[in-house]
Amino acid sequence: MSSDFEAYEQDFGTLTAEITNKIGRIPKLGGKEKTQLVLNVDKQLEEVRELMEQMDLEVREIPIQSRGMYQSRLKSYKGEMEKLEKDFKRSRIAYSDDVRNELLGEDAGSSESQRAHLLDNTEKLERSSRRLEAGYQIAVETEQVGQEILANLHSDREKIQRSRDRNHPEPSPGLRPRRHHPPHHHSGHLFQCARALISPNALTHTHSVSHTHTHKTRTRMINSDKSVCSGVIRTNGAHESLFLGPDRGLSL
Amino acid sequence: MDNSGKEKEAIQLMADADKKVKTSGSFLGGMFGGPHKVEEACEMYCRAANMFKMAKNWNGTLLCALFHTKHAAGNAFCQAARIHMQLQNKHDSATSFIDAGNAFKKADPSEAIKCLNAAVDIYTDMGRFTIAAKHHITIAEIYESELVDIEKAIAHYEQAADYYKGEESNSSANKCLLKVGAYAAQLEQYAKAIEIYEQVGSSTMDNPLLKYSAKEYFFKASLCHFIVDELNAKLAVEKYEEMFPAFSDSRECKLLKKLLDAHEEQNCEAFTEAIKEFDSISRLDQWQTTMLLRIKKTIQGDEGDLK
Repeated sequence: MSSDFEAYEQDFGTLTAEITNKIGRIPKLGGKEKTQLVLNVDKQLEEVRELMEQMDLEVREIPIQSRGMYQSRLKSYKGEMEKLEKDFKRSRIAYSDDVRNELLGEDAGSSESQRAHLLDNTEKLERSSRRLEAGYQIAVETEQVGQEILANLHSDREKIQRSRDRNHPEPSPGLRPRRHHPPHHHSGHLFQCARALISPNALTHTHSVSHTHTHKTRTRMINSDKSVCSGVIRTNGAHESLFLGPDRGLSL
Repeated sequence: MDNSGKEKEAIQLMADADKKVKTSGSFLGGMFGGPHKVEEACEMYCRAANMFKMAKNWNGTLLCALFHTKHAAGNAFCQAARIHMQLQNKHDSATSFIDAGNAFKKADPSEAIKCLNAAVDIYTDMGRFTIAAKHHITIAEIYESELVDIEKAIAHYEQAADYYKGEESNSSANKCLLKVGAYAAQLEQYAKAIEIYEQVGSSTMDNPLLKYSAKEYFFKASLCHFIVDELNAKLAVEKYEEMFPAFSDSRECKLLKKLLDAHEEQNCEAFTEAIKEFDSISRLDQWQTTMLLRIKKTIQGDEGDLK
């Protein structure tokens, strides 16, 4: 029994080899030859199917214990046959590579173009990651620049606050930290001393204050009482010019 | 405009001013007798000095003439300043000293420093600490760049920072302190540097404007800790993370952790690798590179010992 089976197997082997061969050739041919080959392959497939049935019957006659091996082989043969049928069907409608190449003008097979395609993709990926890196670097640099700007803003803010406090001193006196030094170059103080200058005790006030203000004030004051008024105006004017001047006399 | 013409005029003016000063007799007498003359002499000195300054601007090719004119400008301003002093005009005297200092900056740095010091003394005497601090910074910059005396530069920066603190200008004070810290670390005075950076870091981390810079200061403090001892650095990093949660998100903190690990394993390559990665995104500046190199040497030093 098993020898029959083996004989069937051999036949099966040769037939499938022939069929594959012919299937390979079918797309390349055209017209009459093609139809002939197709008929051939059809016939051979029929033979293969008959073989399969015979093998099936054989296997059923084998006692159950040793059936397993034959059954698995049978299954694989069945699978092969189905694959052959599928290939056969596809080959009948498929174009051969040669014809396609002629039409589209490519050389070498599709495998080459696939490789090139893959390389292209990899390069695109690398380019995008490089761009992302550069973007990140720029973001970090921007953050650093932002830090510096904020620090500058903070220091400018302090300066402005300080000069504003000086120009518009708060009504509550004695809360200034530098009490032991007479406040210098306050224009608030300035107006006070201007007022003091106009008062009758002009000279005494002048003396205490003048050594901290411009020499112009002092020389004018000491020289003549009558020039007190003009001195006041001069003081204000001189101080204003000093105050508005660039670095001189303005402590920030 | 003609350079030589201006120069000649300026020289002429100086000569005239000198004469005026001499003829007015003693200065005490000059106060009541001929203040006008001395004042005029003063003004003439200033004008002469300005003309020298202008002359140098118009003709940059005569270098020796330039040198001479800058010197002359500086000298003229110095003279003016001295006259002001004697006229008890401290303010004007100080400003003239400043002008002299600026003029000397390019010609003779040590003279410049003398003038600037004199000006600073006058200002501190008058109680104007802010402007005194500003000029301390100028002096420190000269020490930094031209005379290269880092110790003195540190001293002046520190003085400036103290004055600014006294005047409640915290951001200017911080700027000076940071410079002190950077130089102190360079001179291996790590304890001082650590203290400064921690102080600045903790004061800025609450301020909404400045908190983005705080992480940089903590990073620098950690680097200084690291040079001293690795364990210190670990504790310090933990402390900073606790104080300032945003620090743990920063790239600097991540770098520090990697460096600590690499140092623990004495793995020089991992160390370099981590630094390279950080550097590829944002370049490390000169100071940081120096510190990291010192840390790296401690790793390599250990490896050398094992051999």
